[in-house]
Amino acid sequence: MKDMSRATFLKLAGVAAVMTLVISIVMVNIDWLGPDASTEKGPIITLLNVTIVLSALVFSIVLTMMVYAIWKYRAKPGDESDGAPIHGNTRLEIIWTAIPLVIVVGLGVYSTIVLNDIEAEAANQMEVDVTAQQFEWRFDYPDQGVASNELHVPVGTQLELHLNALDVVHSFWVPEWGIKRDLVPGSDLPGGDEIDNVVRVTPDVEGQYSVVCTELCGWGHATMRAAAVVESQDDFDAWAADQTKIPEGNSSTGAAGGNGAGVFDDQVSK
Amino acid sequence: MVATLKAPGQPRAILGLILGAAFGFGLVVALRAISGLEIFQTEQTGYPQVIVPAITGPIGYLIGIGCFDYWFRWAAGAPTIPEDHSQHGAHSWKDYFKFNTDHKVIGIQYVVTTFTFFLIGGLLAMLMRAELAQPGGQIVDAGLFNGLFSTHAAIMIFLFVVPVFAGLANYVLPLMIGAPDMAFPRLNALSFWMLPMGGILFLLSFLMPGGAFDAGWTGYAPLSTGAPLGQSFFNLGVQFAGASSVATALNFLVTIVTMRAPGMSFWRMPLLVWANLSTSLLVVGATPFIAGAQFMVLLDRAVGTNFFQAAAGGDVISYQHIFWFYSHPAVYIMMLPGFGIVSEVISTHARKTIFGYRLMALALLGIVVLSFAVWAHHMFVSGMFAWLRVPMMMTTLLIAVPTGIKIFSWLGTLFDSKLHMENTSMLFSLGFLVTFVIGGISGVMLGMIPLDIHTSDTYFVVAHIHFVLFGGSVFTIFAGLYHWFPKMTGRMYDERLGRIHFWGTMVGTWGTFIPMHWIGMEGMPRRVADYAAQFGDWNLVISISSFILGAAQLVFLYNAIVSWRYGPKAGSNPWRAKTIEWQVSSPPPVFNFDEIPRVVGGPYEFGVPGARHAIMHGEEGAEVTGPKPAVVGAAGGGGGGSK
Amino acid sequence: MESASIAAAPAHEHHGPPEAHASSRIDRQTLGILLFIVSEAMLFGAFFASYFFIREVANPGAWPPEGFELPKLVAGVNTAILVSSSFTVHWALEGARRGNRNAMKMGLAMTWLLGATFLFVQINEYVHIGFSARDGAFGSIFYGLTGLHGAHVFVGLLLLSFANIRAWRGHFGPAAKDHLGVEVPGIYWHFVDVMWIIVFTTVYIL
Ligand code: HEA
Ligand code: HEA
Ligand code: CUA
Ligand SMILES: [Cu+2]
Repeated sequence: MKDMSRATFLKLAGVAAVMTLVISIVMVNIDWLGPDASTEKGPIITLLNVTIVLSALVFSIVLTMMVYAIWKYRAKPGDESDGAPIHGNTRLEIIWTAIPLVIVVGLGVYSTIVLNDIEAEAANQMEVDVTAQQFEWRFDYPDQGVASNELHVPVGTQLELHLNALDVVHSFWVPEWGIKRDLVPGSDLPGGDEIDNVVRVTPDVEGQYSVVCTELCGWGHATMRAAAVVESQDDFDAWAADQTKIPEGNSSTGAAGGNGAGVFDDQVSK
Repeated sequence: MVATLKAPGQPRAILGLILGAAFGFGLVVALRAISGLEIFQTEQTGYPQVIVPAITGPIGYLIGIGCFDYWFRWAAGAPTIPEDHSQHGAHSWKDYFKFNTDHKVIGIQYVVTTFTFFLIGGLLAMLMRAELAQPGGQIVDAGLFNGLFSTHAAIMIFLFVVPVFAGLANYVLPLMIGAPDMAFPRLNALSFWMLPMGGILFLLSFLMPGGAFDAGWTGYAPLSTGAPLGQSFFNLGVQFAGASSVATALNFLVTIVTMRAPGMSFWRMPLLVWANLSTSLLVVGATPFIAGAQFMVLLDRAVGTNFFQAAAGGDVISYQHIFWFYSHPAVYIMMLPGFGIVSEVISTHARKTIFGYRLMALALLGIVVLSFAVWAHHMFVSGMFAWLRVPMMMTTLLIAVPTGIKIFSWLGTLFDSKLHMENTSMLFSLGFLVTFVIGGISGVMLGMIPLDIHTSDTYFVVAHIHFVLFGGSVFTIFAGLYHWFPKMTGRMYDERLGRIHFWGTMVGTWGTFIPMHWIGMEGMPRRVADYAAQFGDWNLVISISSFILGAAQLVFLYNAIVSWRYGPKAGSNPWRAKTIEWQVSSPPPVFNFDEIPRVVGGPYEFGVPGARHAIMHGEEGAEVTGPKPAVVGAAGGGGGGSK
Repeated sequence: MESASIAAAPAHEHHGPPEAHASSRIDRQTLGILLFIVSEAMLFGAFFASYFFIREVANPGAWPPEGFELPKLVAGVNTAILVSSSFTVHWALEGARRGNRNAMKMGLAMTWLLGATFLFVQINEYVHIGFSARDGAFGSIFYGLTGLHGAHVFVGLLLLSFANIRAWRGHFGPAAKDHLGVEVPGIYWHFVDVMWIIVFTTVYIL
């Protein structure tokens, strides 16, 4: 790159800049992550957009350098000569070590901030015990004392989901909420203390969504879905009122084959 | 008849296979009879009468093919057959089906075998794409679909990408460092023959009751510990493939350390050698972990231990830690050799020395070190220790730095160069640059915990996988295959077909895997045979592109086969490269060199007047690229290729 | 192996491969076995990782869990046996170096016997220990670690048997390259020994 004049360098930088700009503007305006229906998803979308801009920068630089080199230095047919004997350039090497370093550290710090942000605990929460079993979901509402295999929640309340699985690993995901966490068998056993099985999310748009299992759990994995309904507090209370009570001494969080399973089965059957 | 069964070779191997399997079967039956259990245990996780023969059978085959003949005699202290070099060189296609200790023969055995598995794995992918072309069920049911992507991935990773690199390096690395062969030729042959055992076990699992292993290539417990018999075949197949790659890695390391030509200091090694040095370090350090993980799963299944059974005090998540401690380094095991290949190809076809050679080598080592400290980025949503997430995110993101150094140094190499775009290997290298950067960037996004929380286990990950593995590894594999095709076969391939193959692959890859990012972020989970209607259109596009991608590979197949048989003879050095393997005839003489060459400079001294890398036997002061005297089939240097 | 076809091949008038240049002081076999040991150590690493998770993460309570009792004494004696075998194998190597064939033979034989005794005691311990690999995660990881090590002792014994046979058949000499057949299994044996000390301390003592 020695012979490259300041002018050409600026030209290339300009091209890269424009390309970055175009890519960013186009891509930031597409809502990649789909509808945003929880207070947690907002920050994630912002983070994505920032990442997109930086990635556009990186990609544009790479592409500009490559296309320019191909256009400028392509050998004429029959040209058997060699390129200039340039072994390196310490300044350049430092630059392209430092810039990515800055970018990724920046992204890392920002991600950490967002993470703490979306995992922050709100003042008032509603606990829901989520239990997964091939290939069914069950949601227990300890406060209301009811169980269901539909997830109904009042809008705007932070949910404290306690996750557990009875057989194999499953994963809880509502795409519109942007939150995902595996349900690990044994989370409720003494040995489960170290398992990080509590996840918080605050749905803030009323509507019908679906809980998607995103961890391979067997032949029924693709169809392991449950309705997730976000509704007004009143509707929720009304709904909760006429749900089956949690049977005596039967919290859903039991070991595989434990008494939790029983309720599961007859709920599956009905 | 008896003679053929006595001499090592396929007949004896088949016999060994049968005897070995029979022995294993008898052993199980006998032991169970003695201990008063019912003879045939048919619990789906058990089937000892099938699993044990599945171990002893392949071992019998290996003994039969002749892997151990020498060692048996050695161990018994009997006079070992004096090396008569009968196991060097191949004189007919039949020799490729025999036990052979010549690294060049083994290299070709590797490449052809692994490429066959690539076609099989690809065919499985085509079936998947046919099923996924539309929502709802098409050609396979959910259970079989799970089997399809599990075997697809297992074959592509353990039987294609990892070993094909070992194969290419097997062929060129000893030549590059001026060694007559690998350090342990017999071990080298054993490594190769263990490989198909693994692949065949993977494929056999389709015939087992309950079908092929279907817990994904990640085989998470406890899904895998309760899965049907096929899963055991995965556990075993991985052992063979793993043992093979560890043995090869040892071999490379010892070869590189102890057998370099005089004058070849570490800082004069071609970057391909550096790359395989780094890769081998990863293999030796990490591969035992997957062996361990699969052993434990097998024990949980067959013996009834409780390593991963929460109810009995086992730890479910520990499987993921142990698995990823191998499988993250594994992804660099699948990329670093490619980096090496690209360095060779770019410097040669750009007629220019690698920009920042030392930093390139150091970047490789940096990646090696870092990749042992990032495994948990596959577990951000697994419910593992919350405190481990942020540190692992940081190390993960840091890997972008050494990788970036490599990308930019390659680009730097292109400047002030004399680019020869007409060579397919160069096209694939440049295609790799753009495609891999996309894959790397999606990797960085996945590395950022909040983004991973949303995209983990969606098609966004599938898109990442294929951009790095296909756009990364496989592109570099093709670059290498085209680059060394003349050296390996002694013939030139058809550049026109090569270009068709490249553009077909490029379009196919982007068309197939770019839209996966979108549907993934929109909410399509991975590992599903059926999906919400909203994703239908894009999936159709993906499937069609994937068929284009597949068809493009057929072009390569045709080009390779026809050129190998009828292609124009290649000179010893069609690309006018500087590294040693190009200074000997194509294909190289049986013993590589009459006399070990002397290395007198760096490997890529293009455009430096009078500079040279190595001085070959009997050509003091002669032009570096020239016909070599006294070597078999040596043709004139230069010309030939670049038309 | 000796397929005659090659003799016909033109390549074979050629005297054979040139001697490779030795670019490092360490010889191939030694470096090979050392690297092999590294990968072996990592295999143990996988099981130790599992041990850590089962003990520290999944079963924070009493360890070993009540109902399980480990025969520390027997295992301790066994450890002594194995450790001593490390000295005998070293003695054998010294013998080989100084050309003292009897020392070499005796050393190898004793090492083999000590190793076999260790394995025998170990199996005997399994028989009388009163719990199986199926009894909880503790049983699994106990048998997992000790069994994995037992397997390595077995392999070590195999290698030593070769060395013994060859020694009795008059192989090996004082020159460094002539007694690699003693040195290499020796190195492996030391590894098996050290690994046992680690396994013993973690599983029985800590
Ligand atoms: C060849 C194989 C390969 C390679 C090289 C990589 C490279 C990387 N991978 Fe990838 N990965 C896989 C194969 C690979 N991966 C596979 C198979 C899976 C799925 C496993 C499964 O679940 O089935 C996976 C999954 C995976 C995950 C888990 C996703 C999930 O399941 O939730 C993550 C998360 O962090 C990740 C990250 C990364 C990162 C950060 C890199 C980095 O190394 C990328 C670095 C490269 C670049 C960044 C581009 C070049 C750099 C520059 C141009 C400099 C400037 C760049 C910046 C400043 C950003 N990968
Ligand atoms: C190096 C590794 C590698 C390679 C090369 C490929 C290549 C391909 N992969 Fe693969 N893939 C993985 C590694 C790889 N994959 C991994 C690790 C997973 C994760 C598995 C898991 O979740 O556990 C995965 C998962 C995966 C999925 C997701 C499954 C799911 O989650 O539901 C899909 C879906 O489209 C897919 C498609 C493809 C396609 C179309 C190709 C194509 O590139 C293949 C092209 C090649 C050919 C087609 C062969 C040559 C042509 C012929 C043999 C002739 C026949 C051709 C026609 C019929 C046209 N792969
Ligand atoms: Cu439950 Cu997937
Ligand atoms: Cu990874």
